[in-house]
Amino acid sequence: MKLRVRLVGAAFLFCLLGVLARAVSLQVFERDRLRELAEDQYVRQVEIPARRGDIFDRRGVPLAQSVEVDSIWVDPSLLGDLGQAAKKLAPELALEPSELEARLSKAKRFAWVKRRVRPEEAEAVRALGLPGVGLTKEPRRFYPQRELAGQLIGFVGADGRGLDGLELAFEDELSGESMRVSGYRDARGRKLLTDGLADSIERRGASVTLTIDRHLQFFAEKALSRAAEESKAAAASAVVLDPRTGELLAIANHPRFNPNTPEKSPPEGRRNRAALDTFEPGSTFKSFVVAAALEEGRVKPQDGIHCENGAWDIGRHTVHDTHSYGWLSVGKVLQVSSNICAAKIAQALGRDALVDYSARFGFGERAGLSLPGEGKGVVPYPKAEIAVATQAFGQGLTATAVQLAAAYGALANGGVLMRPYLVSRVVDPDGLALLEGRPVEVRRVVSAETARTVVKMLEAVVEKEGTAPRARLDEYKVAGKTGTAQKADLVAGGYSDKRIASFVGLVPSDGPRLVILVVVDEPKTDVYGGLVAAPVFKEIASAAMPYLGVAPSSAAPVAQERPKPKPADRSASRPLSDAFLKVQAQDPVTEQVEKGTVRVPDLSGEVGRVAVSRLLAAALTPRLTGTGRVVKQEPPAGSLVEKGARVTVQLAGGLPPLRQ
Amino acid sequence: MSGEVEISIRDERSRAPVVYDPWLLAAVLALLTLGLVMVYSSSAICAHEKTGDGFHYVIRQLVAAGVGLLAMALAMRIGYRKLARLAYPLLVFAVGLMVAVVLPGVGSTAGGATRWIRLGGFSVQPAEVAKVAWVLYLAYSLAKKREKVATFSVGFLPHVAIAGMLAFLCMLQPDFGSAVGLVFLLFVMLFAAGAKMSYLVGSVLVALPFAFHAVASSPYRMKRILAFLDPWHHRQGSGYQVAESLMSIGSGGLFGLGLGDGRQKLYFLPEAHTDFIFSIVGEELGLLGVATVIALYAVIVWRGVRASLAATEPFGTYLGLGLTALIAFQAVVNMAVAMGLLPTKGLTLPFVSYGGSSLVVMMGAAGVLLSVSGASARVAGVFRRALLEASG
Repeated sequence: MKLRVRLVGAAFLFCLLGVLARAVSLQVFERDRLRELAEDQYVRQVEIPARRGDIFDRRGVPLAQSVEVDSIWVDPSLLGDLGQAAKKLAPELALEPSELEARLSKAKRFAWVKRRVRPEEAEAVRALGLPGVGLTKEPRRFYPQRELAGQLIGFVGADGRGLDGLELAFEDELSGESMRVSGYRDARGRKLLTDGLADSIERRGASVTLTIDRHLQFFAEKALSRAAEESKAAAASAVVLDPRTGELLAIANHPRFNPNTPEKSPPEGRRNRAALDTFEPGSTFKSFVVAAALEEGRVKPQDGIHCENGAWDIGRHTVHDTHSYGWLSVGKVLQVSSNICAAKIAQALGRDALVDYSARFGFGERAGLSLPGEGKGVVPYPKAEIAVATQAFGQGLTATAVQLAAAYGALANGGVLMRPYLVSRVVDPDGLALLEGRPVEVRRVVSAETARTVVKMLEAVVEKEGTAPRARLDEYKVAGKTGTAQKADLVAGGYSDKRIASFVGLVPSDGPRLVILVVVDEPKTDVYGGLVAAPVFKEIASAAMPYLGVAPSSAAPVAQERPKPKPADRSASRPLSDAFLKVQAQDPVTEQVEKGTVRVPDLSGEVGRVAVSRLLAAALTPRLTGTGRVVKQEPPAGSLVEKGARVTVQLAGGLPPLRQ
Repeated sequence: MSGEVEISIRDERSRAPVVYDPWLLAAVLALLTLGLVMVYSSSAICAHEKTGDGFHYVIRQLVAAGVGLLAMALAMRIGYRKLARLAYPLLVFAVGLMVAVVLPGVGSTAGGATRWIRLGGFSVQPAEVAKVAWVLYLAYSLAKKREKVATFSVGFLPHVAIAGMLAFLCMLQPDFGSAVGLVFLLFVMLFAAGAKMSYLVGSVLVALPFAFHAVASSPYRMKRILAFLDPWHHRQGSGYQVAESLMSIGSGGLFGLGLGDGRQKLYFLPEAHTDFIFSIVGEELGLLGVATVIALYAVIVWRGVRASLAATEPFGTYLGLGLTALIAFQAVVNMAVAMGLLPTKGLTLPFVSYGGSSLVVMMGAAGVLLSVSGASARVAGVFRRALLEASG
């Protein structure tokens, strides 16, 4: 009996030993794996999205900003009576109670009630004090300039991701890297505590600064919309470009689009037609044919060309002019925009040269604005005789408005094509430039002499006998070209009676500062470029010239002799910036004291992101250390420094309150 | 286990001080203390959420511990010999409770099982009472039958029949764990008392199909078995508790996350303060804490077996062994379950787990066991005195 009792005791001790062995195996050998599994469930990687970067115009005026607003969510399991709760919540948030209740009853532990609410809505919900209702901060994209450059900037979706325009094109840069923070949670998913939650406000996406000038953009949009409405056009666009650098100063589209409320616009209203859509340029293309023929020596400026009195048969086709002409000089051909004579010049130039020069002017090649869906245009090889003729007056080939403006820029810029660009810099929050847009010479297309000759010829277009006397400015010489293209009838084939009226102007023509292209799609009242588009050009140019501080042509003969700057000092002295003196003097953010010099703004007490945007706006390079608010800056406020100089800002203390 | 813990109560009959086994007493008190700390640590957060008072459970456990200490002292004071007279009445009482609990309107149901009878603010778990009553009855009965234990009709069958009845009552609740425990105790005591091995092995073979049926016929038991076999695969369902428990214990490592710093009690591990308190010990105190707990039970086994061997009559031996087996069985099964070595049972960790009935009954059992140890110590003391007198 005693043996058996001992055996029982020994058996139990053996079992306890087995339990101990198991504990050793779990706690020593399997510890890491089990701990990892355990941590997987209570350590939650809380993703804190970076604050989306801002988009600025060339002077640092915000075109797109991110602000933090409240979103309301509930844990339905804590709400109790869903119907009652829905009845209380819905009226405060302009929701339908039954719809809200249905939505809440579907969720178990989490449901959005309404996202990105107005402050007063958030306050009302907070005042209700319902259990299980929470508010969380979410960033909301805000476009302070409303419709200004709406299609260009694009918009973001409900999740804050860019869906169109620059918002989409620079999605990765703007959204930045979200931060992952470890927080503990319990099995019910509640966040308990978070360690080391860094200053989330400092986590930002990169900011994008455009070459667009808010004022020029505004002039362009205002003039364009008025004309488009008066002529009952289907759509219209305008491009303003600095021919010396290729900087796009304005890209306007009609109908206008407010990215704050993208859902209110039809998809076609959101399109940045000027950059994305291709069209047949029409007679504006003649300038390039003439330039090419002059460059190749196929015609001389004083040569006479017979315009066949208004009708010319090529094979079984007949080319018409709007008026019948006999002998015309090359300049006259452009002035009155004779299709027949342009066709003859093209014939003289030859197929290969025609195609070659089209390509050299940048047609058929994407302008490279880095916008999604940017059009490329097509210049087919003109096999048939009639194709050579029609290409001469800009039919049978397509281009985007930006391409066309840039090609005219080459004529304005002494024959050198500059790559058009839209983004001057993308700067990450640490002040590192991710991308910098600089003037890039694509190629010399024609000689300076040829370019000057063609521009001179184009000056005649705005004279009384030309096609666009309405583009004439009192104080500035203008060179330009009208276009009235027939729209291809996609349904019936061939061409419809719908027109695209356009005008492209260089101003002042004795030293062009701007190329302004206006394209009006399907005007209903008048269809001719000289009548519909030229006045828009005039309106934009007459506002832009004084704004840019350009001296009137008659009073400033020096400008005529403006030497072509070397590419190097071109990029250094940003041709437009000296002209901003007038405007910027009123703007403390970008106060400019001396050309190429800026005053360092006083940043004390600002939070980091404000300091960064102010420095960027002042064309300075920010460099941040620490988090919180500015306590120190180097060089000190008020000192004069070179543009682009580095300003070191020390931040400290005052971490913003943790946000749930 | 340092220092001699001696509690002396004057024995009225002998007028000599009774010395109870200090090791046994210290082990029980150490487990009790550890239990109170761990109940607080594992329940404070969910108690605070549920009742607004983080001390809700630990205060109840303290009250139970007080009652338990009284029960222990009472058992020591009365002495196990006098309990022999209570063997039948207590068994009848326990059976009565077991029947009552399954009657409609008497028992209170929680988690799909009717295991408790509410009496005022407290609830009694009849199965806990039945286990002690069953050990007491078996010790008495086996001691009385002596040599006849080896016989089938007198020594074997009646006990098996009563065990069968008790197990059946357990299954009505249902409480499979307690049923297995009662049968297990029967086998241990029959074995110790000298029952024929052929009967024991044979009855196991006979019982197996029934046990299998009991498992296979109940979906939840089947699930538990499956979960036991592969807790990770069933992690989101039936294996959830075991998987969470393994993670708790594993993440404790050698020295634990520190008392109160466990994370698994944040609702990941259900019933962290009752059946799975061992997991929290493992998580917060590490292997060090686990080994300490195991060592304390080993001390109880060692000293319990020693006391029962030292008992002067078979009743004391059987009673001591039965109570030791009762404590050790519950402890081993509970810890094995927590570490995934056995399917989930619903047995508490003696002296440690939250639960009034279990604690009071276990403390009472410990008191009886101490009384067995004390009797042998006293006998030893008498011998020593006699020897001293003889030599002097």
